Amino acid sequence: MNIQFKKGVLEICVLVLATRGDRYGYELAVKISEKFEVAVGSVYPLLSRLTQDGYFSTYLKESNEGPPRKYYQLTQEGWSHMRRLIAEWESFTKSVNEIVEEGLKP
Amino acid sequence: MTTRDRYMLELEGMLSVIPEVQRKEWLYDYYIHFQQAVENGQSEEDAALELGDPKLIANEILLSYRVGQAEKTGSFGKLSKAVFATVSLGLFNVIFILGPYLALAAVILALWASAAAVALSGVAVIIESVWNDTFSLAQAFTVCLITSAIALLLFIGLKSLTTSFYKLTLKYLKFSTRIVKGNNK
Repeated sequence: MNIQFKKGVLEICVLVLATRGDRYGYELAVKISEKFEVAVGSVYPLLSRLTQDGYFSTYLKESNEGPPRKYYQLTQEGWSHMRRLIAEWESFTKSVNEIVEEGLKP
Repeated sequence: MTTRDRYMLELEGMLSVIPEVQRKEWLYDYYIHFQQAVENGQSEEDAALELGDPKLIANEILLSYRVGQAEKTGSFGKLSKAVFATVSLGLFNVIFILGPYLALAAVILALWASAAAVALSGVAVIIESVWNDTFSLAQAFTVCLITSAIALLLFIGLKSLTTSFYKLTLKYLKFSTRIVKGNNK
């Protein structure tokens, strides 16, 4: 899959993944990299950027094994930002699909 | 030394400009990542491979740091550092970010210099008149008053122009890094 493409949608995916309860960084990083072939390490800077922008808040929680995990929680702004991105994405893919279908018509 | 230690050391070494508290917080993500990968039965080597080249990761982290700094302080040194951090992410940015940034910054600097020249010219007229009696003192002061007023207006206009240039650059940096970010795979 095209790189530019992948990077654009990464943000949406990370936000959507956190809608069903708080996630910890590792979980998000692995989930994302399973679907798209991105370097797992680049998910963390994305997470911290989204946190800086106020779309995520973070907290540490003890786990049964090992050191405490950092959890990411979607904030109010995070929710509206996600909805905005999804709306953009949908209108974008709709346009692309229309053109593709038109073009491939026999 | 384990693969994890090597990876963490390499990453930390490249992030030395970031103040310790923030650096540790960012590094913690990667530290924990190794921890959890191992718990899930992955080898440290695999985890390091999956994380990606520490150099590229460091570039991305540095970029978020620079942009954050520029936003917080509003200083031109910081802004330029953010621009250069973006440029380090790829050749694409040299053309589309560094070029326009330097050109516009030069134009703004030139405008400031012209405004300063206008302000100084009034003073020069007074000095000239005192020295060589070119104009009467009253005339010289009038000229000086007019040029000062013009210079003041220029300064006010330039100040808001500079502020918007600053804000726009930051916006553009954030926008373009969203597109270019991490061409590393």
